[in-house]
Amino acid sequence: MSFDVMKSLRTGLIGSVFLAASSFATLAQETLKIGGLGPLSGGGTSWGLAAQRGMDLAISDLNAAGGITAGGKTYKLELVFYDDLYSAQGGKAAAERLVHQDKIKYIVGPVGSPPALAAISVTNPAKVIALTNGYAPGVLKNDAPDPYNFRLYNTNLEFGPPIIKWIRENLKDVKKIALLAPNDAVGQAVAKPLAEDYKKEGFEVILDFFERGTKEFTPLILRMMAQKVDAFEFDGNSPGDAGLMLKQIRQAGFRGKVFQIGGPAVDEIIEIAGPASEGFMTYDFVDWDMPKAKALREAYQAKYGKGIISPFMPAFYHGVYLMAEAIKRADSIETDKVRTAMEKIDGFDIGIYGPVKWIGKETYGVNRQLMMQYFFSEVKGGKIVKIKKFTP
Amino acid sequence: MLDFLSRLEILLNPTVLGQVIVNGISLSAIYILVALGFTLLFGIMRVVNFAHGEFAMLGAFAFYHLTKDLNWPWMIALPAGVIGVAAASLVLEWLVFRWFYQRMFESMIGLLGLNMMLIYGGVLLWDTHERNIPAASQEVLMLGDIIIPIDRLIVVVIALAALTAFYLFIRHTRAGLAMRAAAQDVETAETQGVDTRHIYKVAFFVAILLAALAGSLWGQIYAVSPHLGERPLMMAFIVVILGGMGSIPGAALGGALLGFTESIVGTAFGAAASAFLSFGVVIVLLVFRPWGILGTPEN
Repeated sequence: MSFDVMKSLRTGLIGSVFLAASSFATLAQETLKIGGLGPLSGGGTSWGLAAQRGMDLAISDLNAAGGITAGGKTYKLELVFYDDLYSAQGGKAAAERLVHQDKIKYIVGPVGSPPALAAISVTNPAKVIALTNGYAPGVLKNDAPDPYNFRLYNTNLEFGPPIIKWIRENLKDVKKIALLAPNDAVGQAVAKPLAEDYKKEGFEVILDFFERGTKEFTPLILRMMAQKVDAFEFDGNSPGDAGLMLKQIRQAGFRGKVFQIGGPAVDEIIEIAGPASEGFMTYDFVDWDMPKAKALREAYQAKYGKGIISPFMPAFYHGVYLMAEAIKRADSIETDKVRTAMEKIDGFDIGIYGPVKWIGKETYGVNRQLMMQYFFSEVKGGKIVKIKKFTP
Repeated sequence: MLDFLSRLEILLNPTVLGQVIVNGISLSAIYILVALGFTLLFGIMRVVNFAHGEFAMLGAFAFYHLTKDLNWPWMIALPAGVIGVAAASLVLEWLVFRWFYQRMFESMIGLLGLNMMLIYGGVLLWDTHERNIPAASQEVLMLGDIIIPIDRLIVVVIALAALTAFYLFIRHTRAGLAMRAAAQDVETAETQGVDTRHIYKVAFFVAILLAALAGSLWGQIYAVSPHLGERPLMMAFIVVILGGMGSIPGAALGGALLGFTESIVGTAFGAAASAFLSFGVVIVLLVFRPWGILGTPEN
């Protein structure tokens, strides 16, 4: 027997011993897979990466605290995250992979409405609990007779009317608003109800659309300025688009108010617009001054560097905790029991948002819309200053 | 919804019209810079460089790091970043590009792969969020009712200077003459003593230099991310198809047409109308004059 063969046998033997040892370890604690969905390629990659990282941090924290216990067993959580391509087709394919191939019963995501609407068409019939994002009302008002999906955080239908009322009462010079939105199903689903909310409060609204991928917004901005608008509103635009629009609005000489009652990503907007972001006012829902939120930010930066933190990171972190809480309360991993326990969650607080609760019966027909505190903030001296807090 | 006439009326407002023109010039200048390098590579080496936009992205990131992390003044950071990217890209020329010279169809697939590698290499290296390159100036120039951001004016001046330098290089240097000869007929150029391997390298360097410069200026006006190159690449395609694949004056004409169409039609009728018109013209051109406005038909 040659020396090489002996060496291979010895390596194999040592490997087998380690394998056996690790098998004993896994016997003691079972694994519960949690699925994640979000865009990991294309223009929405930053959102998907943030979602994935938020889930990864939450699972690490929960496992470090001993995992979750249900039905007398302790489970170590494991993340399985797939790219939904930020499309309906991608969302459906990724959800089918999680549900049918990986046999996963708990999913957080997708991030956007097109993949979320497609994913729930797979998860609901399979009785898989999905905590999705996606602002489209259809995510909750879906056709499933007995749905298992919930929405992970506030949409403009929840936070829009109170903030608009605040604007009417406090920013008296604003009467005519230019509302700019991407020209697709998601853009229209967000912008049209928001325009109606503004109109109900007595504002004149000029709603106009642009094609996704547009970088040069000056023509659109000039057209709005020629119609003597008092303010610009970015609704649910991505931080990339909102940052560019803000920069170009200021370069075009507009000195009025600029708002965003939509995607809460003010850090990214400040990074893109630079000094042009001064005075920008936006919806926001993460209070980074809260101790747990501060610790989460530090953990994120230690693991992923000091780059900008997308709001999807804490949202998906919170989503995993919400799922774990429902499983613990159900004391079971059967999704029927976990769904019932999830519906009963009220006042749950992990120290990032304050207490959260489910609402939505009036708007969507089901109490599956998570409601948490939110803010209307303004950029002052390059920093985000909260000017009004709204509590659920 | 505004009707057609009232939209035209908005366009004819002197304030709006002035800005539309300034905007048209700056857009045209950047589109021409991207498209020139793209058409140069095709004209001389018959390479369809699907990775062209990613060299613009690399130029933008070099400019970003030199200005933001090393605090270099933009007047030094811009040329240093652009030359650095073009020089470093010669490694890719040796590793990848040279295998595809005079192999148009293979180059499309191969360089599409390189395009994806550079985008997702960028995602791994820089993450995906968009970044801001500090503006050269925050000031605006007021000419009556017309407001011109100094930042954009600087971009226009730099782009026009680069285009002039490129024109002088192509028309009045021996390397430029050799490039034009190789573009017309590579075999005849070789029989006349032109060292095509050397000329290919020079052309590649110049093409990437222009792309990196366009990317840096693009990044300064807009924002920098690993996905920055996607739109410039699309624009380069439209411009060279309009002007004629491989035609340098065609790239200039195509860039100007596209830049002004986007600015004028976009302002009056929106981005959808502008995209509809631009792509509509490209389709009509491909049907009736596939070699473009100033291109020459293939034999």
